[in-house]
Amino acid sequence: MTFEHCTRCTICVENCPVYKVEPRFPGPKQAGPDAQRFRLDPEKSVDEWVKYCCQCRRCQVSCPYGVDVADIILKAQLKYGREHLSPLAAHLFANAYHFNKLGSTLAPLANRASDWPLTKSVLGLFGVSRELDLPEFRFVNLERGRRRMGRGRKVVFFTGCHLAFNRPDIGRKVRDLLASTGCRVVMPAQTCCGLPALGNGDLDIARKFALKNAAMLTRYIDKGFDVVYACTSCGLTLMHDYPGILDVPGGRKIAENTYNVYAYLFPLLQAEAEGGPLGTLELSLAYHIPCHLRALGIGYPAARIFEMIEGLTCSILDDNCCGLAGTYGFKKRNQETSRRLGLIAAQAVRDTGADTVVADCGACRMQLSHYALMPALDPAEIITQAMANTPKRSRAGSGIAQKILQTIQMKRRSA
Amino acid sequence: MLDVVVIGGGMSGLTAAIHLAGAGLKTAIISRGDPVCCLSTGCIDVLDLGGRPMDGYGALPEGHPYRLVGKRGIEDGLRMLKDIMASSPIPYTGTIRANREILTPIGTFKTTCLVPRTMEASQGCRDEYLHVISFAGLKDFYPSYITSRLPDTGFSLFDAGCSSTLALAARFEEQGFLDEFCSWLSSIEIPPGRVAIPAVLGLKNPVAVMEEISSRIGRTLFEIPTLPPSLPGMRLFRTLKTAFQERGGEVYWGNPISSVEIRGATVEAVTLAASGRPTRVQGRAFILATGSFVSGGLYATRESVREPVFNLAVRVPGARKDWFLHDFFMPGHPIEGAGIEVDASFRPAGSSLENLFVCGSILANSEIMKNRCGHGMALATGLKAARQCERMLV
Repeated sequence: MTFEHCTRCTICVENCPVYKVEPRFPGPKQAGPDAQRFRLDPEKSVDEWVKYCCQCRRCQVSCPYGVDVADIILKAQLKYGREHLSPLAAHLFANAYHFNKLGSTLAPLANRASDWPLTKSVLGLFGVSRELDLPEFRFVNLERGRRRMGRGRKVVFFTGCHLAFNRPDIGRKVRDLLASTGCRVVMPAQTCCGLPALGNGDLDIARKFALKNAAMLTRYIDKGFDVVYACTSCGLTLMHDYPGILDVPGGRKIAENTYNVYAYLFPLLQAEAEGGPLGTLELSLAYHIPCHLRALGIGYPAARIFEMIEGLTCSILDDNCCGLAGTYGFKKRNQETSRRLGLIAAQAVRDTGADTVVADCGACRMQLSHYALMPALDPAEIITQAMANTPKRSRAGSGIAQKILQTIQMKRRSA
Repeated sequence: MLDVVVIGGGMSGLTAAIHLAGAGLKTAIISRGDPVCCLSTGCIDVLDLGGRPMDGYGALPEGHPYRLVGKRGIEDGLRMLKDIMASSPIPYTGTIRANREILTPIGTFKTTCLVPRTMEASQGCRDEYLHVISFAGLKDFYPSYITSRLPDTGFSLFDAGCSSTLALAARFEEQGFLDEFCSWLSSIEIPPGRVAIPAVLGLKNPVAVMEEISSRIGRTLFEIPTLPPSLPGMRLFRTLKTAFQERGGEVYWGNPISSVEIRGATVEAVTLAASGRPTRVQGRAFILATGSFVSGGLYATRESVREPVFNLAVRVPGARKDWFLHDFFMPGHPIEGAGIEVDASFRPAGSSLENLFVCGSILANSEIMKNRCGHGMALATGLKAARQCERMLV
C-alpha cells in the first residue's frame, strides 16, 4: 500500500519508539506518508530529521491499512544519504563487515585497542558513541573451524556478522543443534547481509554485499538446500529487502527458501522429544522480542521450543525496541535516544523478575545486558543447555552460557 | 497444529483468545496491524439508550448481537475484563448496574460504563471546582475548550519540554520528572476542588503515578482521554495482549491473510501473505474478529459490501441508495447495521462452515454509534463465540 492509503489514524505513531524520546523526530506518520506527498524525485531532500528513524519497522507492522511506512522512510533516508555527505560514522558502520573481519583477524590487539582512551577519542571524533562498549572480536571466528557438519536435510546457515565475528560460540551451538536434529549444515563463505549499509543511507554498498550473498545462496538453493538465519535482522533483510529495495537477482527465490532457525528446528526438536520434554532447565526468562522478529510475522518460534523445556518459565516482552537498532545507537547523535529506549526496555525486563534475558538479536543482547545489568543469552544457549541437562543426551553444555546459568542457579539455591 | 486461530487482534478477538488460551487450548491471533482499540478512550461503553445500561436492552432489535448473547452473557464479558484488569496495574471501575459520565477534552461529557481507575474521579467533577493541568505546546489538547464550556473551571500549563502525549507518558515514568512535576503543582495556587490532566500519566503504571501526584498535592486527580494517539487505549490493548501471551497464546503480527483453505464444511488453514514465503497457519477452529469498515473486516464497493477473508454473506440494509445519508456520523446511519449475521452458536448464518465463529463489530445489526455499545459488545460476543468454539473442541 502506498502513502495515499494512510488514514492518519496515528497507530504507527503510538508504536514508534523514537518519537516518544526524540523531539526532533516528527514520528512515522509525518516522516512517512505525510511528508511523502511533498517529496519529489528531482528535488534535493531537506528532511534531515528522517535519519532519526531507527528502522525498527514497528510502524509498518502496526499499520492496520498495510501502508509501507518504514519502507517509505527508508527510501527517504537513502535519498537523503545519496544527496548529502554522510558523517564518518555512517561510512564506518555501512562497512562494519570489513572492520569486523579486520578486528577479528587482529582480535587480541583489536580488543585491547578498543579500550584505549586514544581509540575511544578517535572514534568519538568520527561520531561514534562511547556509551556502550564495542563488541569484542573473536579470533577463532565462524570463518575458521568446522564449517560442515551432520548428514540429512541440506541446510545453509547464514550466520550474520555478529555471530561470525563476535559470538562464534553461539554460531557453533546453532550449527550443532541443526546437525544433531538430522541436518547437513554448511556455513559457506558469506558477507554482511547489507542491513548496516541500508541503515546508514548507502544503497550501493548494501547492494554490493547483497549481490555476493545472493549468488552464493541461490547456488545452494538450486542444489536443494534450505537457508536458515539466527539473527532476525539478517533474516528480515533476506526475506524483505533482497526481493524488495535491494532487488538482487534471485531475491525472490532466496526469500521463499529462507527460514528462521527456530521455526526450522521446532518440528525437528518436537520429533526428537517424542511428546515428552525436550530437556530440563530451572530458569525464568524474560524473552525480549527483537523488533525485526516481530516484523517477520512468523510468531515467536523460539518461545514454542521453550515450551518443551521442563522447569523453564518465559515472559514475552514485545512492546519495546531496545534502542540500539544495530548501528543506530552506536552513533553519537542517537546516543541519548538509544540510552532512554534502552532504559525503558531494561526496566520491562527487570519488572518480570526473571533470572536472565533472552533475545534472538545480538544488538538487543548487548543493549539489554548493559542497561538491565544482567546476562543476555541467545535462545540457542538456553535450548542447548536444557538438552544437555537431560540424561539420555550426553551432549555437553559449554561456554559462556553454562557459566552464567550455573551462577544463576547457585544464587537461587543460596537465596 | 493449533486448536484455535483467531483472526483479528482487537477487543473481541483478544477476549475470545484469552478465554480459549485460558481454557488450555493452543490459540494464536493473526493481526494485520494494531486494532482501533488503541485509538479509543479505553473506556468500556456497554449500552446507552437512556438510564442504566440494561434499561435499553429491551429496545434493541431482535437481531442485535446483545440479544443473541443475553444479559447474562453481557455481564460475563464485563466481569472477565474487570478480572483481567484487576490483576494488572490498571484496574477498571464500574458495574453493569450504572452508566457514568466522563469529561472529554472538548468539555463535553461522554456516557460510558467501565473506566480505568485513572478516570474514576471524572464522575461528578462538575459538582465542584475543576482545575485542568496541561502542558506547554501539547498538540490536540486545549484546556480552553473545557474552561469555556464549564463554568467553575480554570487551567495551568506546565512546561515539560516535550509536546506529545507519548513523550509526556515516557517522562512520567521517570521518577525525577515526576518529582519536578509534583513540586511545580504544589507551588501553584489552585482553588479547592479536583484536578484533571490529559491522559499522559505513563503507559505502564498510570494509577501509581496518579496516586503519587494525588497524595503529594492532597487533591483528587483524574485523567481526561485525549485524541489519538491515546494512552488509555494503548494500555487496554497491551494489557489484554499480555494477558493472552501469559496464557501461552501466540501472535502473528502485521500480515494480511491471502487465502483460506476450506474442505467440505471445515476451514483447515489460512495463509498469511509475507515478504518471502507465505506463512500457513492451521487450526481446528477459527474465529473471525476482523472488525467493521474501519478495520477492514468489511469492505464497501460501489455495488455491495464484502467480507474479504472468507467471502461470507454480508447483510446490507437494502440497495446502495438506501444506505446513503448525508451525515456519516449520524447515529442510526443505515450502514451501521451492515455485517455478518450469525446463528445462536455464533457461526455465520447461512454458511455451511462448522468450525468458524464470528464476533465483534463485524456482526450485523450492531449499530454501535447509535447504541454506544462498542467495547461492551466486543467483550460479550468475543466471550460467547469463544465458549461456543470451546464446546465444539473439548
